[in-house]
Amino acid sequence: MKLSNQESAMSMRFLAPEVLARISSLDLLARTVVEGFISGLHRSPFTGFSTEFAEYRQYMPGDDLRYLDWKLLGRTDRYYIKKYRADTNSQCHILIDASASMRYTTGEVTKLQYAQFLGSSLAYLANKQQDAVGLIAFDEKVRTHVPAHNRIGHMRTIFGHMEQLEPGNETRLSEVLHQAAERITRRGIIIVISDFYDDTEAITGALQHLRFKGNDVIVFHVLDKNELEFDFNEPVLLEDCETEEQIHVMPDILAEGYRHTIRDHIERLRDSAVRNKIDYELLTTDKPLDYALFSFLARRAKNI
Amino acid sequence: MSFLNPLFLLGLAALSVPVIVHLVRRTKAPRVEFPSLMFVRRVPQRTIRKRRLQNLLLLALRSLAFMLLVLSFARPYFGSGATQKSGELANIIMLDNSMSMRYGNRFEQAKARARSIIDQTGGQEKTALITFGQSYDVQHRFTTDTNQIKSVLGGLQPGWGATDYAQALRGASELFKEAGTKEQRIFLISDFQQTGKNPGESAFRLSKDVKLVPIDLGEQNSPNLTISGAGVQPLIYQPKYTDRLTAQIANFSDEAKTGVKVEFLLNDRSIQRNEIKIAPHEATTVEFTGFNLNEGANRGVIQIEGDNFPVDNRYFITLRRTEQMKALAIDSATRGRSESFYLRNALTTGENLPFKLEIKSPATISPYELSQYRVIIINDAGGINQALAQQLIKFVEGGGGLIISTGPHTEEAAFNQAFEKAAPARLEDTVQLRGDYVVMSEIKTDHPIFEVFKQSGRLSAARVFGYHRVTPRPEASVLARFEDGNPALIESSHGSGRILLFTSTLDASWNDLPLTPIYLPLVRQMARHLGEREERATHPQGQTFVVPAAKDGTPPAVDAPNGERITERKETATGELIINAREPGFYRLRYPEISDYAAVNLDSKESDLSKLNLDEFVTAVTGADPKTVSALAADEKLGKEEIESRQRTWWILLIVALLLFVAEAVLARRTKMSRVIG
Repeated sequence: MKLSNQESAMSMRFLAPEVLARISSLDLLARTVVEGFISGLHRSPFTGFSTEFAEYRQYMPGDDLRYLDWKLLGRTDRYYIKKYRADTNSQCHILIDASASMRYTTGEVTKLQYAQFLGSSLAYLANKQQDAVGLIAFDEKVRTHVPAHNRIGHMRTIFGHMEQLEPGNETRLSEVLHQAAERITRRGIIIVISDFYDDTEAITGALQHLRFKGNDVIVFHVLDKNELEFDFNEPVLLEDCETEEQIHVMPDILAEGYRHTIRDHIERLRDSAVRNKIDYELLTTDKPLDYALFSFLARRAKNI
Repeated sequence: MSFLNPLFLLGLAALSVPVIVHLVRRTKAPRVEFPSLMFVRRVPQRTIRKRRLQNLLLLALRSLAFMLLVLSFARPYFGSGATQKSGELANIIMLDNSMSMRYGNRFEQAKARARSIIDQTGGQEKTALITFGQSYDVQHRFTTDTNQIKSVLGGLQPGWGATDYAQALRGASELFKEAGTKEQRIFLISDFQQTGKNPGESAFRLSKDVKLVPIDLGEQNSPNLTISGAGVQPLIYQPKYTDRLTAQIANFSDEAKTGVKVEFLLNDRSIQRNEIKIAPHEATTVEFTGFNLNEGANRGVIQIEGDNFPVDNRYFITLRRTEQMKALAIDSATRGRSESFYLRNALTTGENLPFKLEIKSPATISPYELSQYRVIIINDAGGINQALAQQLIKFVEGGGGLIISTGPHTEEAAFNQAFEKAAPARLEDTVQLRGDYVVMSEIKTDHPIFEVFKQSGRLSAARVFGYHRVTPRPEASVLARFEDGNPALIESSHGSGRILLFTSTLDASWNDLPLTPIYLPLVRQMARHLGEREERATHPQGQTFVVPAAKDGTPPAVDAPNGERITERKETATGELIINAREPGFYRLRYPEISDYAAVNLDSKESDLSKLNLDEFVTAVTGADPKTVSALAADEKLGKEEIESRQRTWWILLIVALLLFVAEAVLARRTKMSRVIG
């Protein structure tokens, strides 16, 4: 479907030029065996359909005879398999939490908007590196699934879907991540952007599932500043965005306990991420997006 | 417990603010969306309860501290033990409403004190209310209804009268008879002027059952200037006032007053303005003269400026300009020459003469013309026939004045026959002392004729060589006698008029009276006494005065100085209107054709604000030992300020409040610390 100019302009609005300028100055390198983001800098460990010669290996029974170097066999009577190294394009899936809790804000940008900015920035970046980009948006179930492709115009589809995301219902994050792990058949990079309101053990299990499937998992934990600080000056009646449950709260009594609890949750998430070789980044919506990306990518580059 | 500044108690309402805010905000806490209550619910409830308890303790501490702070500002005090006794106790609140209570805001203070006493009785003790000045008024008899008595109290205004404590206390003792209680108490609220002590009542004492609680509102030094009196000739017979009009300006203070402005206004126009200096506790006389008067009544006001108690700074007088009265002298005109040479000179020399004198002999008098005269003087006239004598007696009966002077031309028998019914005395014989003389003595100096001689005592300067021995009629009054005991001047009334009989001559034939300085004033006084109607330039406040009715017999309508019409109508037997002079100023008398005025002035005694010795006064009135009086009064005469000041409860409350604030601060800090650590 061809988008009008206006729609096109709207779709592109997440890509702030200064964000892209920052990110372009970095070399994004894949950390593990997964295909790199940028074609040419990283070589795929898979021999495949490319034409560039890699090495020879002695034939072993069971090898595909298609790759046997017949010329060498003719000259030397030795069976060697010719291995090629191709410039492969990896898959990058962006998983955005579009549950009701993501509509929360105390500033101008809701968590969902921030997730949209972040997701589109990363999608663009991946696309620029010739990677196939896919999108999964979810709340209690997967609501949008755009499979990863690398064809021309796919990015517009991604952006179009991302643009239309609205805060939905309750989150069942771990369930949905399990579903996503099953849906993504090809290994690649999985970027999860969520506020992670779920049990830490369940989340860890789901992330392990993704990791187990051979994916490089990057987690962006997006929170509003007030979710960390619990800064209320007066007693309030708090209403849960998702369940609409209400509770009277005396901030001066509760704040310290709340902060302690949520910090504990974050630390446990961070620990489990480290243990499972998952990149974890905590972002608050008041942080400039480019700064958040920059610091994350810089750290990721350093670790490689 | 009572409070000195009860309005501060309104601050207690502020205590409810945090509680109300808490309640209101709890019930109306703003609804705020939050992404997830997952972590909110995980905060342990036990901690919240503990903090709630700590907060409640903090709230209690703060509230208590604020309450004590408010109470300390309200200045609480506890009534004395005596005031808390109830039952058989009767109180009389005696409120001084004399003129001096207008000084500053004394009267309002007095009312406030009275109100606080009524409050202290708490409706359990019988209380009555008396106001007093020169006299006393029972404003409310014994009651336990505090509202009723306070309502009466609220409507009271200060009066204009002087003060008389003894009379008021006597009234209170009478009133106590109605109470029938064993214990009796008088709260005497006054400025305790020295002048309020009535020397004539020094023997008066209150009953032993009565406890006197003096409540003193007077300052030790209350400087005041006043016009203590004026010397004025109220009747003027010419357009110009040529006498000296004098005003005494008194300084009732310990400091000399300079630059005191004294102004005389006549009919609201300024006539003269002087500036004077007055030594402390002295009086200075200021004179005004040479101003013109309108026909009829003229309103004169002498006013001073220069002190802070203006109430007594104006003195009101009336000056009446009227036509001269006609007087007739009848003499023998021996050898065609009048023998009334001295008499004529005495009555026609000088200014402001009340009489226009005509001199005639008995033969030239028409009996019908007598009624035009106010005074007729028979100056040793022989040959008064029976018809003329009858007319003269008729003249006296009609209200005329007759002066009879006997001498060599007076024949005793003819005189006695002619004036038998009317004359003050019967002539006996002639006494000729031949070389010797007698002087006048035994003079009734309080008689109007001799008032002017009271100080000089020079009446005895005249030597009398001859006189008629007389027998006064029983109803006649001997005003003066010769030193040998024989009457010299006798007065009697007849009908509406009066007759004076001088038993010697009014010329120099039997005495040298005309040659002495006393002749002129004596003759004029005699003539004025009989001929001039009584006229006063001013009347004292608090007394009554009479005003004559109009020609048709109807009394005038009277407007008080404050402009209100006086509706109280009391008349004398002769139809004159009696007016009670309640306030100073001009009473306007509205006759059908003209307006007349009567001036009323304050008793200058009341302007002396110097204080009496309170201990001595209470001792004198109650007979108690001065020390006991002081000790009793020290506790009970205290106003609530003094009681509060002695108890100093506010100070304790303030300290406790501060300690509570400190405790609150410590506890609040500990709570905060525990939160941070937690």
